[in-house]
Amino acid sequence: MKAKAPFFILLSAIFVLLPVSPAKPSSVPEMRTVTDQLGRRIQLPANPRRIVALAESVTEIVFAVGRGDRLVGTTRFADYPEAALRIPRIGSYIQLDIERIAALKPDLCIGTRDGNPKAAIERLEALGIPVYISNPMGLESILQGITEIGALLRAEEAAAALATDLRRRIERVAEAVQRSETRPQVFFQIGVDPIVSAGRGTFIHELIEAAGGVNAAGEAAGYPKYSPEHLVRLAPEVVVITTMARGADFDAVRNEWLRWPRIPAVRDGRVHVVDAAVFNRPAPRLVEGLEILVRLIHPEASDLKP
Amino acid sequence: MTFAIEALELSHAYETAAVLRSVSFRVSAGDYFVIIGPNGSGKTTLLRLAAGLLKVQTGRLEVSGLPVQRFRRRELARTVALVPQAGPFEFPFRVAEFVLMGRAPHQGILGLESPRDLRIAREAMGFTGVEHLAGRRMDRLSGGERQRVIIARAVCQQPRLILLDEPTSFLDLAHQAQIMDLMEQLRQENGVTVVMVSHDVNLASMYGSRLLLLAGGRILAEGKPEDVIDADLLEKAYGCRLLVDRTPATGARRVTPLPKEALGRQPPIRAIDSFK
Amino acid sequence: MTPVPIKGILRVKAILLPVLAAAAFLGVAMGPGGGDPGTLIRSLAGVPLEDAVLEDIFWKIRLPRVLLAALTGSALSLGGLVFQALLRNPLAEPYILGVSGGAAIGAILGILLGLARFPWGSLTAFAGGMATVGLLLLMSSWKTGLGKDALLLSGVMINAFCGAVILFLVSVTPDARLFNILSWLMGDLSLAAMEQVKLLAIVTVLCATALFGLSHVMNLFLLGRDTAQSLGVRLGVMTAILLTITSFMVGVTVSICGLLGFVGLVMPHLMRLSFGPDHRVLVPACILSGAAYMILCDLLARILPAQGEMPVGVVTALVGAPAFIFLLRRAAR
Repeated sequence: MKAKAPFFILLSAIFVLLPVSPAKPSSVPEMRTVTDQLGRRIQLPANPRRIVALAESVTEIVFAVGRGDRLVGTTRFADYPEAALRIPRIGSYIQLDIERIAALKPDLCIGTRDGNPKAAIERLEALGIPVYISNPMGLESILQGITEIGALLRAEEAAAALATDLRRRIERVAEAVQRSETRPQVFFQIGVDPIVSAGRGTFIHELIEAAGGVNAAGEAAGYPKYSPEHLVRLAPEVVVITTMARGADFDAVRNEWLRWPRIPAVRDGRVHVVDAAVFNRPAPRLVEGLEILVRLIHPEASDLKP
Repeated sequence: MTFAIEALELSHAYETAAVLRSVSFRVSAGDYFVIIGPNGSGKTTLLRLAAGLLKVQTGRLEVSGLPVQRFRRRELARTVALVPQAGPFEFPFRVAEFVLMGRAPHQGILGLESPRDLRIAREAMGFTGVEHLAGRRMDRLSGGERQRVIIARAVCQQPRLILLDEPTSFLDLAHQAQIMDLMEQLRQENGVTVVMVSHDVNLASMYGSRLLLLAGGRILAEGKPEDVIDADLLEKAYGCRLLVDRTPATGARRVTPLPKEALGRQPPIRAIDSFK
Repeated sequence: MTPVPIKGILRVKAILLPVLAAAAFLGVAMGPGGGDPGTLIRSLAGVPLEDAVLEDIFWKIRLPRVLLAALTGSALSLGGLVFQALLRNPLAEPYILGVSGGAAIGAILGILLGLARFPWGSLTAFAGGMATVGLLLLMSSWKTGLGKDALLLSGVMINAFCGAVILFLVSVTPDARLFNILSWLMGDLSLAAMEQVKLLAIVTVLCATALFGLSHVMNLFLLGRDTAQSLGVRLGVMTAILLTITSFMVGVTVSICGLLGFVGLVMPHLMRLSFGPDHRVLVPACILSGAAYMILCDLLARILPAQGEMPVGVVTALVGAPAFIFLLRRAAR
C-alpha cells in the first residue's frame, strides 16, 4: 500500500524547497559589540534607529533618556508616557509576537530577563535581530541599566543626568529615613483575591526597606499568599495596597481591612491605596514609588517634595 | 480417533460462582451437536471455552486432539470459527468488507487480500445467499440477513469446527429454518462440525445429530435427540411441566411447554439450579 | 469485487492532498506580520521581494510553524482514531486515557525544575505520558468485573487524578513561571523551530507508518473482543503495541505543543463519516485531514485577534465542538 508515499513526498518536498535566506541588504550599518546585563556579548548597530521594547519598563526608560521617537514597537500595556500609547504593539512581554516584531524590521530589541521567554529571545536572534537583555534586580541595577541603555542608544548625556537626579532623590529619602527613629512594620498588598504580598528578593521589598520600613512579608521569598488569619498575626502598622487589576474598586479593598480593627494599621488609620504602575515596573518611576512610600511610612519627614 | 471436541471433568467458575461442574463429553467430527438447557446453565461458557476465549481452569478441553490452550491464536482461528450472539454495530462496515475479514487468520498482519481471499469470500456469500447485499452497510440489514452475513464470514475462515451461540434467537420462523439448513449443508458438503447452543429445543430436536442437555452447570443427558428429549429429563432441567410428543412431518420429538390452565392439579417442579 | 482499500485510499488522497496543500499555502502566506498569497508565490518563484523581511517571515517563522501544526494535527488525529478503535468507543481520544494528563505533569515538573521547554521539557513530558500509559495497562490488567470498560474507566480516573495534580502544581508555582505553564497548557505553537519539527517529523512518520501497517488489526478490533480473538487477534499484545505506539507519538506531540483538544475527536469522526470505517483508508485520511485542520486552526489563532494570539487549543475547541454536533445530527438521519 503506497499511500504513505505522497505524504513522504510532500514532507520531503517542503524540506527541499526550504530556501536559504537571502543575503542582507548591501548597506551594512556600522556595528559594535556590547555585553548585556546577563553577560552575553551581542553585536548591534552603533546607532540603532528602530528599537522594539520587549517590556513596558524598557519603554519607559527609552523615553526617559529621550529616545522615545526611535521606538517602533512595544508591549501591550505600555502606557507611560502618554506617547507610548501610539506605538504599535508586539504582544505581551510574556508572549511576544515574533512575526510582528520581525515585520517592524528593528535593528535592536531590548528585553528583560524576568518575563521574556528565553525561547522567544532565541527565535529573534535566530532571525538576525540583536537582543539586549537587561536584568534589573533592584534600584542600583536599574540605575545601571539606565546608563547602559543610554549608551546603547547614544544618549549618554541624558542618561547620566537622569541617573544623577534619581540617585539624588534616593539619597534624600535615605537621609529622611536616617532622621526618623521608628521602623514600622509595613504590609504591601499587591493581590486582591487571594491576598498576595512581596517578599525577599523583590523590588517592593527593597523599596520598603529603603523607605525605612520593615517588610511584614520579609520572611518569605517571592510573592507569598496570606489568609486573614496570617494578617491578624502579622499585625502590620502600615498597609499599602496596590493592584494591577484595572478598574479595581480600591475602596472596597480598603474596607476589607476595616474588618480587623485590631490590626495596628487599621486602628491608626494607616491603610493606604496607591497607583500600581509606579511600583511594578523596574523603571525610573520606581523612585517615585520610593518617595510615596517614605511619605506613607514616615509622615513626619514631610519636608520631602512630592 | 480424534474428536472435534473432547471435554474431561471440565469445570469453570467466575469469581466464586461455579458455572460448569465437572463436565465431560465428546463431539465427533461431522456432528451436528446442539447444546440445550435453561438460562444460566453454562451453555455459553462452554462455547466460549471451546473457542479459546476463556482460560481453562480445571479439567481438560481438547479441540481436534490438542488442548485448546496449546493453540496459538491464529491456528485456533483457522480451525474454529465462532458466530457469537448478535450484538450492536457501532462501526458499520459494508457486507463485503465484513465477510472478507473472515480471511484474517489466513492473512499476514497487514491484511492484504489476495485474489484467492476475494474468491473465497465471494463463494461464502454465495453459499449463504447474501451476494446481493455486498455493498450494503451492516446496520442496514434485517436480522436474518445479518446472521447469514456473519455465517459467511465464519465460513471464510475455512474452519473445521463452527461454534454458534443462539444463532436463531432473534429470527423469524423462516430464517430460523434457513440458518439451521445452512449449517446442515455446511456439514454435509464440507464436513464441518457444527456445535450450536440453542434455546430452541424443537429445532435442536429436528436438526441435531447429538444433543447435550445442561442444567445448573452439569450434564443431565447426552446423546441422540431420541434419548435426550425426554419429558422427565427436560422437566428436571427447565423446572416446568412439558408435553413431549412427535412432530407429524418428520417424526422428531416435539416439546411444548404447558400453560398453567392445562396443569390442573399437578404439583410444581423444582428446577435444578445447583447441586449443593 | 475490486479490492476495497486501494480505491478508497486513492479517493482520500485525491480529495485531501489538495486541501492540505492549500491550507499549508495559506498558513505560510498569511499572518500578523504581513504577506499575502501573491507575495508568497513570487517568493516561491525566486523573485526577490521588495519587503525583504517577508522572506524571513515566510520561511523562518511561518514555515516551521505550519510544519509543526501539520505534524501535530496528524499525530493527534491518528491518536484519536486508534483509541476509538481500541476502546470501540466513538468518544475515545488520547486525552480521555490520561496520556495528556501525564504528559502535562511531566512538562510542568520540567518547567519547575528550570529545564528549557525543548528538548528537556519534552523529555519529562513524554516520560510522564508513558508512565501514565504503563499505569493504565497495569490497572486494566487487574481482574475487575468491568470487562471492556476497564480501560476507559481507568483512563478517566487517571486523567482526573492528573488534573488534580496539575492544579496543585500550578498553585505552588512561584509566579514567574506560572505564565509559562499556563500558556503551554493552552496549546502553543508560536515558538516553532526546525529542531522541534524534525524531531516530531521523525516520531510521527515512524509511528504513523507502524499504525498504517496495523490498520487491518484495528478493523478487527472493531468487530468486538470475542470476534477479533476468534479471528486470530492476540488482544493483549495488540492492545499494548497500539497503545504504546500511539502514546509515544501523542506524548511527544503534547510535550512540544501543549494540550490541543478536539482534534483527536473530530477528525476521525469526520473521516469515518466521509470515507467509511476501514482503517486502511482512515489512517491516511486522518493524517492528511488532521494536518490541514491544525494548520487552519493555527492560522485563525494568529489572524483573528487584533492583538497578540489566541491559544490554538481554544480555536480547536471552538471550531471542533459545533462541527462535532453538526456531524452527529447529520449522521443520525
